[in-house]
Amino acid sequence: MNAQSIGFAPGTFAIWAALLSGLACIVVYLKAMRLAPAAAGLPGGAVFQPERGHPFDQHIAFARRLYTGFVLSVVLASALLMRLLLSHDFRVSYVASYSGRDLPFRYLFSTFWAGQEGSFLLWLFWGALIGLVVYRTAKEQEAPVMVVYVLSFLGIVAILAKQPPFRFLAELPPDGQGLNPLLQDPWMVIHPPVMFSGFASLSVPFAFAIAALWAKRWDGWVVRAFPWALFTFVTLGTAILMGGYWAYKTLGWGGYWAWDPVENTSLVPWLATAALVHGMVLQKVREKHRKINVILAILAFCCILYGTFLTRSGVLADFSVHSFVDLGITGWLVFIILFFLLGGLGLLAVRWRSIPVEPELDATGKLKEEPFFSRSVLFILSVTLFCASGTVILLGTSAPIITRIAGKPSQVATSFYNVTHTPVAIVMGLLMMLVPLLSWRGEAPRKVLGKSLVSLAAGAVGAGLFLAFGVTGPKDLIFLFFVTGGLWANVDATVLFIRRKAISSMGGYLAHVGTSIMLVGILVSGVYEKKTTVTLYRNQPTAVGRNTLTFVKTVFATEDGQIKGTAELDSTRLADRRAKQAMEVDVKTPTGKIWKAYPKMYVNERTRQMMANPDVRSTAVMDLYVSPQAYDPGSSARLEGTVATFHKGEVKTLHGVSFKFLDFSADRSAMASGNPRVTVTSSFLVTSATTAKELSAPMVMRMGAGGGTESPETVIPGTAGRFRVRRVSANEGLCEIEVLGLDPAGDLKPATPESFSLDLTTKPLISLVWGGFYVMMAGALVALLRRGREARAAVLA
Amino acid sequence: MKRGYWAGALILVGFLALGLTTFTKSMTPYVSFEEAHKAGRTVQVMGALEKGSSRYDTTNQTLHFTLVDQTTKARLPVIYSDVKPANFEEAVSIVAIGQTQAGTFHAEKLLVKCPSKYQGEEVEKTYGGGKKA
Repeated sequence: MNAQSIGFAPGTFAIWAALLSGLACIVVYLKAMRLAPAAAGLPGGAVFQPERGHPFDQHIAFARRLYTGFVLSVVLASALLMRLLLSHDFRVSYVASYSGRDLPFRYLFSTFWAGQEGSFLLWLFWGALIGLVVYRTAKEQEAPVMVVYVLSFLGIVAILAKQPPFRFLAELPPDGQGLNPLLQDPWMVIHPPVMFSGFASLSVPFAFAIAALWAKRWDGWVVRAFPWALFTFVTLGTAILMGGYWAYKTLGWGGYWAWDPVENTSLVPWLATAALVHGMVLQKVREKHRKINVILAILAFCCILYGTFLTRSGVLADFSVHSFVDLGITGWLVFIILFFLLGGLGLLAVRWRSIPVEPELDATGKLKEEPFFSRSVLFILSVTLFCASGTVILLGTSAPIITRIAGKPSQVATSFYNVTHTPVAIVMGLLMMLVPLLSWRGEAPRKVLGKSLVSLAAGAVGAGLFLAFGVTGPKDLIFLFFVTGGLWANVDATVLFIRRKAISSMGGYLAHVGTSIMLVGILVSGVYEKKTTVTLYRNQPTAVGRNTLTFVKTVFATEDGQIKGTAELDSTRLADRRAKQAMEVDVKTPTGKIWKAYPKMYVNERTRQMMANPDVRSTAVMDLYVSPQAYDPGSSARLEGTVATFHKGEVKTLHGVSFKFLDFSADRSAMASGNPRVTVTSSFLVTSATTAKELSAPMVMRMGAGGGTESPETVIPGTAGRFRVRRVSANEGLCEIEVLGLDPAGDLKPATPESFSLDLTTKPLISLVWGGFYVMMAGALVALLRRGREARAAVLA
Repeated sequence: MKRGYWAGALILVGFLALGLTTFTKSMTPYVSFEEAHKAGRTVQVMGALEKGSSRYDTTNQTLHFTLVDQTTKARLPVIYSDVKPANFEEAVSIVAIGQTQAGTFHAEKLLVKCPSKYQGEEVEKTYGGGKKA
């Protein structure tokens, strides 16, 4: 290892310190467990309560100090990276790659997680902090839980130790590359931290589940880990929605979800977490179905690792718009996934037979078969539904890897996900409708039908309403029937809980209300959106569907997209490199109201990329989405000949006259004497129908301030034409000429009008996607409060 | 309760079966230019934009360009009937999804990969160091 790869030494050392203290923490916890297995909650060994000052207590205390050391190292490494970014220390490769001097503070702050190494460090940062709560609340399970918990992060620490974000560059660049302009958005400042707090917190249920297997304590772990599973559900869900909302508001392709690998690999862990949350409710209530949650906790954690592998190893680089650079960690990631997956499932297999199933016996001692129509069965079905959905998404996302084995790596079309998820949503609606109606112990089938009549009627009314408003697809109507039926049943249950003043127990129903609303929004806004591409000319009203659009002018927008005044855009004001150009479009809606839309199209100075931001007008019923596609400033009528570029010796025929570029020579004496006017003479062999002649065409280059070129015209003998040299490049041996007066169509080029092409999309009920999501999260938060209280009571007991 | 698990298993198997059948149907394989000519179905091709080959017809909103395979140097003319993607000319590589008709690739979708995506690598290439071998 040389100085360059150590880079900024304090930072790299902090990461190594985290690696070593983490390892040491695991070793000391293991030692404590060997000293007193019973005290560490493990089976075997004599039952005994260690007294104060016993080696067991000393080891636990020491392990905690080592964990604190681990946390401090991680926090120090993060603080150092942040400091390097804020102080523009471009010696560091990461700083030079992702930040720049022109970034305002809030975006400079967010460059921390703009690259892979920083995102890993952010993940680790949350993991370290969450662990401080975990070891305090794990009680007698502390040692095994913390061993697994710390282990679950060591892989990331090792990746960072291999590729520290503190590496130096060989030379000092004057400025950084800047942050990807698309990421310069408030949503992208908070989206990654929330996402990674969700990733990190998923280690908690995993650690508790493995510790439960290890210690053969089957039920207690669910109470402690439940709030964390809900925490993951809320944070991952919020982060996913923020990402979608950002895509909708800024990217301009028109939607919030593209089934891109990066999106899918955060969605699948979220679905696994949803499954886990349902499984945990089931186990808490029934005190059985223990295997489900252990399996789910292991799989949910491994989903995150697998997602990391898919998006960080470069395997999907050709298939995702979010292509990531391969850090050379692919092998290591595969090892980590297999380690946890095989280790976890292996331990489960070893313990399988000792997990009690507790069959229920009736009075005569015969095995009691529970009725099929029970809430228990619904929960099992919901878990399988989440798993089925997650598996299908993973299958689609992994398509390039799966097909690579067979030969050609291929990708599935997004229709794959939409086709497979219509039935998922229908079954989901049905299950949600039945949940409030069935008891845990079950009902007779006939009673079920009687209870669900009202909800079914509500579903029929809902589907009928949508039919009246133009929803015609039979599959869509079935979907809406079950989902609105489910909505009714859960609204009913929520209201009942509020009446009974049992608000803390209504979380699940409220979440289902939100889910139903969101599903309606997803279906209607997706299937019944209408997109029209139209090219607008200045001040010419154009009817698009029921709206009339008029392109008024181009205006000036500030860096954060605010429209500054409505004066006509003056190109001199664009000298501010962070300014944006916006197009003012009047949208006259059917009600006669005029909405001024300001979609933006501008060139980012740093990356030279064309950026386009849509503008959206949201109402509860419908969004109007204006997405810029192309802007042509137009030009006035002008004289322009035929332009051709020649290499030395090249022959080209223009309007019947052949030109051969022979050579050029510069007036060296003028250059030597410091004359500010230098003439470059290019010689051509020009052959027309009547004559062939070598002609020399001069071009004068004015040096110094006010420089430029003068290109006098040279007459082509025997024709009405003339030509002039427009550009000469000595390095490339190129000469560009413009031929005038030969084109039979004439050299007068007509004016082209200023035009602006845009997509106008109407998105009915898309507000329900966001609104439903808020309600769902509100329900999850209510549940989180309740389960948090229960966990606290269990810890204090 | 047993029946609950059976029903769950049924759902799982049902969706997996649906997933697998849809999977094979919605596949768009990555192929070479030569194979794209023979495929007769929707495929994906990747290549670099041939310099100066792109022409955009604003009235019909049609983009014509030629892709060049970076390894074999094979060329493939492409037609894309939609608005020209932003930063099209600066693309490092272009992925086109569509099918070949009469020697021309009719793209339904274009994925344009821009240099900024690889900025991390670029900096280390320009200023040296960083990545360990």
